[in-house]
Amino acid sequence: MSENLLEMRGICKTFGGVHALDHVDLDVKAGRVMCLCGENGCGKSTLVKTITGVYTRDEGDITFNGKKLGKITPAEASQMGVQVIYQDLSIFPNLTVRENLAINSEITSGKKIVNKKRWEATAKEALSKIGYNIDLDAIMGELNIASKQLVAICRALLFNAKLIILDEPTTALTRREVEALFRTVRQLRDSGIGIMFIGHKTEEVFEIADDVCIMRNGLNVFSGPAKDLNRDDFIYYLTGRRLEPDPFIPKNIGETVLKVDDLTLKDHSCKNVSFELRKGEILGVTGLLGSGRTELALALFGLEKIASGSIILKGQKVHINSPMKAQKLRIGYVPEDRRGEGLCLEQPIADNIALASLKRLSNKLSIIRQKDINKDAEIWKEKFSIKTDDVRKNVSTLSGGNAQKVVLSKWLATDLDILILNGPTVGVDVGAKQDIHALVHDLANEGLAVIIISDDLPEVVVNCNRVIVMKEGEIVGRFDDDEVQEEAIVKIIS
Amino acid sequence: MSKAKRLTRRTEFYIFIVLVALCIVIHIVSGGNLLVPDKIFTILRAMTVDGIFALCSLVVMISGGFDLSFPAIAAFSYSLSTTICLNAGLCQDNPVIGFIISMAIGTVLGMFNGWIISNFKLNTMLVTLGTQTMFIGLSMGIFGMKEITSKLPAGFKALGTAKITSYTTTIGSREVTSDLSVCIIFLIIFIILASFLLRKTMFGRALYAIGGSEVSAERAGYNVKRTKFILYTVVGTVCGFAGMLRVCLTSQSVPKALVGKEMTIIPAVILGGASIFGGEGTVFGTMCAIGIITIVSNSMIVLGIPTAWQNLFNGIIILVGITVSAVQAKRRNG
Repeated sequence: MSENLLEMRGICKTFGGVHALDHVDLDVKAGRVMCLCGENGCGKSTLVKTITGVYTRDEGDITFNGKKLGKITPAEASQMGVQVIYQDLSIFPNLTVRENLAINSEITSGKKIVNKKRWEATAKEALSKIGYNIDLDAIMGELNIASKQLVAICRALLFNAKLIILDEPTTALTRREVEALFRTVRQLRDSGIGIMFIGHKTEEVFEIADDVCIMRNGLNVFSGPAKDLNRDDFIYYLTGRRLEPDPFIPKNIGETVLKVDDLTLKDHSCKNVSFELRKGEILGVTGLLGSGRTELALALFGLEKIASGSIILKGQKVHINSPMKAQKLRIGYVPEDRRGEGLCLEQPIADNIALASLKRLSNKLSIIRQKDINKDAEIWKEKFSIKTDDVRKNVSTLSGGNAQKVVLSKWLATDLDILILNGPTVGVDVGAKQDIHALVHDLANEGLAVIIISDDLPEVVVNCNRVIVMKEGEIVGRFDDDEVQEEAIVKIIS
Repeated sequence: MSKAKRLTRRTEFYIFIVLVALCIVIHIVSGGNLLVPDKIFTILRAMTVDGIFALCSLVVMISGGFDLSFPAIAAFSYSLSTTICLNAGLCQDNPVIGFIISMAIGTVLGMFNGWIISNFKLNTMLVTLGTQTMFIGLSMGIFGMKEITSKLPAGFKALGTAKITSYTTTIGSREVTSDLSVCIIFLIIFIILASFLLRKTMFGRALYAIGGSEVSAERAGYNVKRTKFILYTVVGTVCGFAGMLRVCLTSQSVPKALVGKEMTIIPAVILGGASIFGGEGTVFGTMCAIGIITIVSNSMIVLGIPTAWQNLFNGIIILVGITVSAVQAKRRNG
């Protein structure tokens, strides 16, 4: 089975003069997993949409299953056996698993009346395709994401799928769920289905891919078997630059700004935690999900109730009982879920940056000067190279990495002593990740005290000069300056 | 999950218990004056039109929309239809022509709603707020405040007073006869139709699907635009019917009579388990909720509570309804 299931040659697509796709070639073979990779905005999703018939290509040929395709509609693509599992999974959260499984094929076959027995049979058939077992009466919205995903895959299989396109399926999954998903993907592959896996996490791509296709700025810069590719080249193709790990070297560590002494939280998510943080250093806090790392950060920002112990800021004991208080004490916190907690997506970039420093940007009568807000934002845009042509555009127009830069700008605009970053590069492209890290290094060397909370161990190892490891609410390991090593952390983390 | 456990998680289950409990409590407090045939006849009669309106609101809410314009559609339809029948001397024997005219007008107004909503993808609550005001304005402009009461075509009155059975009691020395109106049959027909539509047809499942996720419904192959257009059109037709039925039952055609009706019907539908976010709701729950508000408003007099307190009760229903709805949605979305 080595002939191409899907063959795309010289695909072009322009939107208003911009080449979204510029003579892209792409092959997917039956019984193989092809990873389509690229940073945000490289044209991945446009390419997928030309396959599914959502967009019409300007130029180029598409051959599917030996047949040349002309213009196709999404419905025709589905009938041919192209199935897309979108990131939002296209499920109905209010309906049962049974209905979610059966409804698409009922519509496609033009049924008008509901037949319970037939629905049940269809649903069971769908589950049997991958041997998945789940309560058919369960309400879809109450399942976890991994289960929803499997249901969506089962549903796609009902249509005699020959090609399944998975659009960044691992984004919201835990490591264990990813493994389960990969098992299913391999099972489908071995049954002769062609899989197109869209992703950008290096480790995952190398784990699952048989073939890889990398895109950058609408061009297809690499196509070939995964075994011909090493990690460094992969990142080079993805970003267009050679990224060397750039470890953080503290240049001027100053006095202790924060001392946490025997801190225990009311809900016992943190117990007897003590540590110090000095000016000009980056302290890493790592641990598995539920180890108390996030709660510790929230406590420092006034969002968790403290049972005992103390927080000493520049030699003075402080009670941080609200984010307002924390801000007054010049502590900034960048949350993990920045789309939900850190940003007003439908507000201009400039206004988001100004949000925490409105006092500085308004006059005596508390009237805000929009001109100064925009001017301020321009400065941050330059400094962080935020990719936008106008700071008055909404944050929702930015990619993940650039949105993260906006959150950082917001806090840095307030003139901080301590900056707490929770998962600073979750869901951020490799290139932007490097930018953000370099920026944090500069900030620390300018005298800021930084805490990075992350479960991305390479990130912690490269960027922190000291690391504390948490487990079940307690500190189980400390690593100083030169001894921060990934293997050692792995040993004690779980 | 066992069947019993699943049952207890449904709003309909609790609303039914509330309905039963309320009946028993009021029956006892009023000295055995609720669960008697004549009271039941009165309540069923009062429920008829509201019940049909509630079913209309229910199907719209399941699809994730709101229709604030149904009272305005009904009022305009029956006002125009009554005027036409009166001037042309129609419906002296039977009211069928009047119903057909009213339903035709309702259909046209419903199509207008459906056209705007499906073509421009606008917020349904705002669209129907606009069309509602427009339809009210239209009927005020054409009919003024003219109320038609005594001159009503005989056919309408005949239907309004037709009975299935009657029941006679003696209060003191007087004999009082209460009738079970024929019109309740229409409500029963609509209940059966709505249940069938929602549970057994792909159109009904499409409403649930669209209410759950419009994008997913589109991707699954539903023609969302057409479905919505048909939905609002049919709702218009049914409202035309319900409005005419109201004229027959009350023996009057008052253009402004239904203004504000949506503010009691929609909360009742929400109380009955329909979600304000769409995708949830059943005919059974809706009818239980309509039963509750009708019984309470009818029993206030019996219990010696001034009817002026009615709004307080309606307000409580709104709050309870939306709170339950929001809590359930929260549980669902994690």
